[in-house]
Amino acid sequence: MLLLAIFFVVPVVSLLLRSVTEPQLGLQNYETLIATTTYAKIFWNTFLVASVVTSVTILLGYPVAWLLSILPGRWAAIGFGIILLSMWTNLLARTYAWMVLLQSTGVINRALKALGIIDTPLQLINNLTGVTIGMVYIMLPFFILPLQATLRTIDPAVLQAASLCGAGRWQAFRRVLLPLSLPGILSGGLIVFVMSLGYFVTPALLGGTSNMMLAELIAQLVQSLLNWGLGGAAAFVLLVLTLALYALQVRLFGAPGREG
Amino acid sequence: MLLSFDRMGLLRWILVLITVLVMLFLILPVAFIVALSFGSSQWLAFPPPGWTLRWYHEFFADPRWMAAIWTSAKIGVLVMISSTLLALLTSFALVRGRFRGREALRAAFLTPMILPVVVVAVALYAFFLKIGLNGTLLGFVIAHTVLALPFAIIPISAALAGFDKSVEDAAILCGASPWEARLRITLPSIRHGLFAAMVFSFLVSWDEVVVAIFMASPTLQTMPVRIWGSLRQDLSPVIAAASSLLILLTLVMMLLAALLRKKADR
Amino acid sequence: MTDSAFLKIRNLGKSFGQVRAIEDISLEVPRGEFLTFLGPSGSGKSTTLYMLAGFLEPSKGDIQLEGRSILGLPSHKRNIGMVFQRYTLFMHLSVGENIAFPLRVRRRSAKEIHARVDEMLALVRLEGFRDRMPAALSGGQQQRVALARALAYDPPILLMDEPLSALDKKLREEIQTEIKRVHQQTGVTILYVTHDQEEALRLSDRIALFNNGRIEQIGSGIELYNDPITRFSAAFMGNSNFLQMKAENLRSGRADARFPDGTLIAQVPVHGLADGAGDGVLMVRPENIRIQPEAAAAGLPATINDVTFLGDCQLIAARTAWGEELSIRSPLSNSGHLPLQPGDKVRLTWQNAGSYLFL
Repeated sequence: MLLLAIFFVVPVVSLLLRSVTEPQLGLQNYETLIATTTYAKIFWNTFLVASVVTSVTILLGYPVAWLLSILPGRWAAIGFGIILLSMWTNLLARTYAWMVLLQSTGVINRALKALGIIDTPLQLINNLTGVTIGMVYIMLPFFILPLQATLRTIDPAVLQAASLCGAGRWQAFRRVLLPLSLPGILSGGLIVFVMSLGYFVTPALLGGTSNMMLAELIAQLVQSLLNWGLGGAAAFVLLVLTLALYALQVRLFGAPGREG
Repeated sequence: MLLSFDRMGLLRWILVLITVLVMLFLILPVAFIVALSFGSSQWLAFPPPGWTLRWYHEFFADPRWMAAIWTSAKIGVLVMISSTLLALLTSFALVRGRFRGREALRAAFLTPMILPVVVVAVALYAFFLKIGLNGTLLGFVIAHTVLALPFAIIPISAALAGFDKSVEDAAILCGASPWEARLRITLPSIRHGLFAAMVFSFLVSWDEVVVAIFMASPTLQTMPVRIWGSLRQDLSPVIAAASSLLILLTLVMMLLAALLRKKADR
Repeated sequence: MTDSAFLKIRNLGKSFGQVRAIEDISLEVPRGEFLTFLGPSGSGKSTTLYMLAGFLEPSKGDIQLEGRSILGLPSHKRNIGMVFQRYTLFMHLSVGENIAFPLRVRRRSAKEIHARVDEMLALVRLEGFRDRMPAALSGGQQQRVALARALAYDPPILLMDEPLSALDKKLREEIQTEIKRVHQQTGVTILYVTHDQEEALRLSDRIALFNNGRIEQIGSGIELYNDPITRFSAAFMGNSNFLQMKAENLRSGRADARFPDGTLIAQVPVHGLADGAGDGVLMVRPENIRIQPEAAAAGLPATINDVTFLGDCQLIAARTAWGEELSIRSPLSNSGHLPLQPGDKVRLTWQNAGSYLFL
């Protein structure tokens, strides 16, 4: 308990204190963050990427979770195996794979060229496209696994009842299945969004210097520029955003990790 | 119907198509890295012009990689021990304790899991600069323990909550002192939770990048820090070899976990 | 009687904050007795047991075993055996190791332990189960192993906290027989908690009836049933009818009961407040009521509501003139000449010895 206090609470609080005391007492660091266009652009980038990543993850993840929840045992097991393997594989190893795959001489560009779809290589890396692809890749398991658990709890009889009531496929989906799975979608989506906001490794490696995101900015302000005040302020913004969204999550869907 | 695989008609094939594509999306990069690590092209051409073990030779011959593995393993084991022990004590307080603010305390212990790692990393970095723990083994272990603790507390608390305290009471009435009962009865009964906590703690430390980047010094680098550094320089195939070894480790861990679960079920 | 001092509970009380779980309990248990704590949930019977086990500390009072207070001893030094409500076998140890556990913590020799485990397995008729794991056992078998474990170190007292409540009815009766046999075979003093009066009657030498943190009445099953001294005992044990009435002419433990319709029944034994007349109830067991024709000279007038044929007897619901419901359990022969129909007017009589006034 003491350890957590000393090595977690104290450092975080003292970092936040520095944001209002360095270089002098006041909120000027927060003013700088808001007023400077470079920083404003970084906030914009962060929100943009987090939103796009969340949307794409939901669109791709929902059908997969749906199918996994109804697939017979053996096939579902293979699906879970793949998801878990990808999720547990070292983050850097996975990011490295995308760096190689996405580079202008990489497999994807060469394949597209060979197929005659493009003439000049697409710029897939060192921009937000690369970041988005890499992040969706990392976030998909975090969305699919909880959602399929939610879907599994839906009684198929409910849908049979809906169809007996005269609902067609589309109606049954829109009026029954979708509303029933909405808590799972929102909860999973919120997790993905929160994680994306503060993600560091993938944006740093796939994003390039001109497309920084918030986490990277914090690291750079502190490590390279030694601007603790501004870094602390940016960290505080990220912290507040995260905790607020987390509180929303707990409020709506209960605290995580409370099985048993 | 929509929740019955056999009766979905055309929709079934749309779902299957999307799922197969997503699965390929998830698995191909992993397979791709493994293939590259055996490819003979220095420039990571794919498909490779030939096959070689050269990158693995280079990896194992490089003392810096070996040092990084050793450092990671050392830190991982220490974190595994400290985080599991602390989580055990904390879980006893959280599950058995009857005091006000128990839920708040529980939430506090889980926050390192929710906060963006970069905030924790920067905060610890600043703090360790002041007390001179940056670039030390102790600093690494403390920082990673903070991060690993929630992942150890969750399985141990769950196991402890599922363990009937009457069993411990029974042992005490049998004549075992409270400590003896905990050691001989309670601990073996929650061993699956303890084991999960150990595995998670080790993996959190072993795979952790962000805090490690801040903590590391040129002489003390973990495996992820070393990969990170190399990635920023070039995309050498040696990294593919290193990554493949990490993937192998993941596979072994997964198989081990599956095996243990099967054993536990029986 | 030196033996009556074997286990003594004196003015025991327990409060949890403002809530008083045990008001005041005093009890003496002779060696070798099977005493059951019977009562509704929350009446304090388990709390008393847990204070005996040392898991709860009494707020007041004393517990003495063979003349010495055991309150200062921690649970593991009290040398008391206990079988719990839930299954408490050590799941990671085999049946044999479970029974051996108390002996191992007492550092007995391997040879002695082996012999003792054999003996215990034979006692609960689980020979051949020594190397099984608890997970492979049925609930009944698990509780038998728990019983063997609790007796392995020859404790002077065995506590049993609703040990059969998780089992189904048939299995429960089977193990009740086992417990009774083990009690006779070992002569251990047993304190047994249950809320099932049939179980209590079946097993015990004496029953302590708990209510609101007090012992309402203590005695053999027959005493509790035939001679309840409080309204609660009368209501809890078996079925009973309570009729409101006014007591008159109270003297030397008897009184006349005047019912709202004016009927008078003289000389009924009285329990409860013995001073002065007043409002009270008359208790009479359903099987003690006789049904007489309306024309009979004496008895309480009533109307038949419902007749249910139960094979060996019939259950009759009747209503008094002022609207109170009574149930009557009557052997067919007793009213064989009276084919009863709902709506029939009858008179009800009973022996005074089988009824009580509670004031």
